[in-house]
Amino acid sequence: MPYNIAMVSDFFFPQSGGIESHIYQLSSKLIDRGHKVIIITHAYKGRTGVRYLTNGLKIYHVPFFVIYRETTFPTVFSFFPIFRNIVIREQIDIVHGHASLSSFCGEAILHARTMGLRTVFTDHSLFGFADAASILTNKLLKFTLSDVDHAICVSHTCKENTVLRASLDPLMVSVIPNAVVAENFCPLSYYPRTHDQIPISPADPRPSPTPIGPNDTITIVVISRLFYNKGTDLLIAAIPRILASNPNTRFIIAGSGPKAIDLEQMLERNVLQDKVEMLGSVRHEEVRDVMVRGHIYLHPSLTEAFGTVIVEAASCGLYVVCTRVGGIPEVLPQHMTTFAKPEEDDLVVATSKAIAALRSNKVRTDRFHDQVKMMYSWRDVAERTERVYQGIIGDISPSEFYGSYPDQGWDVSGDRVRSFALIDRLKRYYGCGVWAGKLFCLCVVIDFLIFVFLEMWFPRANIDIARSWPKKQPLDKLRTHSIRNSK
Amino acid sequence: MTPPPSSLSQIPPPIPVDTHPNRSPNSRTPDERVPDPDRLAPEDAYFAPSLSRGRSALTNYDDTLRSLNGDASLHPPRGVLGADPNRKDVRKLGAGAGRRRRKGAWKKLLWVKQSYPDNYTDTETFLDHLQRNPRVRPYDFWPLVSDSTVIVQHVCSVVIFVCCFVDIVQDRVSPVSVVCWGSVGTAVGWILWDNWIWKEQTELSNANGNIGGDDGSSSSSVTSGVNPPANDTQGNGIKGSPIHGLGLTMAANSSKEHLPHQSPDHNNSVSGVIDPTARAGLNPAPSSAVAGDMDVQDIDRPSLFSSRNRQRLSTVKSAFLIYFSLLGLSPILKSLTKSTASDSIWAMSCWLIIMNIFSFDYGSGEGAGATKFPASLSTNAAVMASTVLASRLPSTTHVFSLMLFSMEVFGLFPIFRRQLRQKSWTGHVCLTLALVVIAGGAVGMTMSGGWASAIIGSFLGGILTALAMGGCSWWLISLQKYKNVVIGPWDPARPIIRRHWN
Repeated sequence: MPYNIAMVSDFFFPQSGGIESHIYQLSSKLIDRGHKVIIITHAYKGRTGVRYLTNGLKIYHVPFFVIYRETTFPTVFSFFPIFRNIVIREQIDIVHGHASLSSFCGEAILHARTMGLRTVFTDHSLFGFADAASILTNKLLKFTLSDVDHAICVSHTCKENTVLRASLDPLMVSVIPNAVVAENFCPLSYYPRTHDQIPISPADPRPSPTPIGPNDTITIVVISRLFYNKGTDLLIAAIPRILASNPNTRFIIAGSGPKAIDLEQMLERNVLQDKVEMLGSVRHEEVRDVMVRGHIYLHPSLTEAFGTVIVEAASCGLYVVCTRVGGIPEVLPQHMTTFAKPEEDDLVVATSKAIAALRSNKVRTDRFHDQVKMMYSWRDVAERTERVYQGIIGDISPSEFYGSYPDQGWDVSGDRVRSFALIDRLKRYYGCGVWAGKLFCLCVVIDFLIFVFLEMWFPRANIDIARSWPKKQPLDKLRTHSIRNSK
Repeated sequence: MTPPPSSLSQIPPPIPVDTHPNRSPNSRTPDERVPDPDRLAPEDAYFAPSLSRGRSALTNYDDTLRSLNGDASLHPPRGVLGADPNRKDVRKLGAGAGRRRRKGAWKKLLWVKQSYPDNYTDTETFLDHLQRNPRVRPYDFWPLVSDSTVIVQHVCSVVIFVCCFVDIVQDRVSPVSVVCWGSVGTAVGWILWDNWIWKEQTELSNANGNIGGDDGSSSSSVTSGVNPPANDTQGNGIKGSPIHGLGLTMAANSSKEHLPHQSPDHNNSVSGVIDPTARAGLNPAPSSAVAGDMDVQDIDRPSLFSSRNRQRLSTVKSAFLIYFSLLGLSPILKSLTKSTASDSIWAMSCWLIIMNIFSFDYGSGEGAGATKFPASLSTNAAVMASTVLASRLPSTTHVFSLMLFSMEVFGLFPIFRRQLRQKSWTGHVCLTLALVVIAGGAVGMTMSGGWASAIIGSFLGGILTALAMGGCSWWLISLQKYKNVVIGPWDPARPIIRRHWN
């Protein structure tokens, strides 16, 4: 059964980034699967009003006051009238918020619950528990997630983090990884393998890749914003040692940031300008063109929820050297990666190992692309997200969705199927903390009163229903069916 | 890992190898699953109040596990595979309930398609990297009390300053006598401090001399000239081993460049002996070290005092500079905030003094990030407080005395206290006691005047201070049980970098 889904986040195109492309890819794949998806974000400079993207993806750019790095000013209630209008106009069933730092997302989830809609939240980032900023963010996240129907995290580490931060039931949190558009990240010499092509002989029809000789130059690519938490300090310390211990090695570094000066100083001090190429920041479309120039992708990040870029690198046929932090160990199989501790010495050792492995031609990097294509696809992400939607709407029974264990004498429903009764919602919010609980309850009550007020003054009957984008037959589904049958 | 060559035509199926460090199959023996108070089970995450209760009873652990996740039956978390006799029955039950078939253990990986639902929570690995209070060091009572003496000392000196000001304003004490006593105390303190520094330096140089004396004899003048960095130890050895040749004396001198903080005695003893011409003749290698020697020589010659005395002289010089500039500034300071209402002055000085107490650097001065001198914010606040207070005084002499006294109390006294604490613990304790008694007496005197009240005040002050020290230490220790630091793989890693450029 197709759903009407509203994706809500502060972050969307024209700004570019991981969350933005996640929302776009997921939405377009969900549309392919027959759902109706709209996106609600704030107005960007030069992007206002309602817009359509490919495939009839409708974007509402709500005018709002932006305070910091494209995050809107959190005004708990002021978003409600226009949000209600959009939701009724588009006949939304499910509100799906993205990114914990987006105040739009938190407010939308609160209002959606007040209006009796099902809500999903996707967390894209990791947060600590120590500093004051994290404590505040975590409290807000708790407020947002106290009443959410389901949460999605991009990695298992991210799930653990979110469960701890928002005190969620772990069964209410699904792990659905990010994906890459593998077609956009092809290796240089890649002959696409079509579905119809059946290998005739056991010999590979593709030419075997040119082996790397002992004296060939190995290029190490680094593409990251040059910030502290991306591990640029490690990189700065490691580059001279890697170049000293491995002759015929070059670096290509793309990205900009506050640590770029340190990096350049290191290059000047060690006179490595001819061995290290600094490209400055590159656009996301150009990332592939940079990656295919290298053999090894080095990712020295200090914290990472998922690390899409290492999947992109592997998809381009690069061997990946990365630090074992956050969700990174879960992302790629061992034959594509060498892990290092976030220490200078270990990073140097791991990189040298990777170079040696490539020189001995043990690593079949030419196969990485097809393997990555099998591991991560947005269609798969959309399917799994759809299952979450079915679970919270009730198309899958709660016992199947959350697991049914009749012999345990254990109540299945619990609080997992979140009822819309105000008193139940208040109970959930009240448990958020001694003071915060009461404050949250107050907010919920006011929100409810605003809702009642809006229903009286702007009755639903007066709001026009928007016409849906004319739907094509979901061609993809048919094609995959036919392929399966032919096989 | 290389895929087998036979599967060339097809995409080799990636073999799910667990890259998760804690989940290698061998490492998990049943014994290790004894509940660890530092590890949380998943249910701890959403039973937030139960975080502190600590899982002590095994049965309790089992129950909570089961209640958390029905998979406990399908995946007995405590049983070894196949060792559980009930396992088969349970699986049959599960299959009867329409559960999907489950092959293989769940892996904490994203790239492998698993037959578990997305919201599956593995009781074994979930939160298994979480650490609670990993670096907490429990406090002990008496060390805590002894550490709190530093705070007591500072608070007492602030109290003494305030009492002196009040007494000066009320004309009970002559400001000149206050500043005289203060200056005498400062002079005594400075002499002691100077003595310690000198002793420390001699000890340091002696220790260096003992180390360096052995290996110096083998080196010739040429090598010492060519390899100046190698001479550091030899240079220090000159005092302990007078039989070494001229080359070694030169080595000592060339090492002066590398050890600018060396003991001044070397400077004198060496500089008189060496003849520059002989040195030039002996040293065919015109290294930069030689040129450096000349410079050092030239500077050393005309100095009549040892650098120690020079240092003393400069201290005295700066003391006089401060003294006279204060004297000159006193009239200005007196009228600086005269037009401000007294209420504002009291409130402002109160806040400034509170700021001084709270921002004071109570650290021991050791450790990596320790500053050599008290943080400037605290000192500035105190000086500003006394400047502001000075405008309430009747004459320039009063202002000058108060300002000088505040310099001594807030600027110099902390340095002395810090040094004393490092040098002698008994001295530190004695000073603390003296300060407490004086502060208590001063408060008593200020309140009602007379020696009797001063004695009562110091007595009460002593008792109150002891109670406060003990009570606060006990309070801090009892608060430790609420400490809950959660550390896990989501925290940004701390990069370990060896600084090695040069």
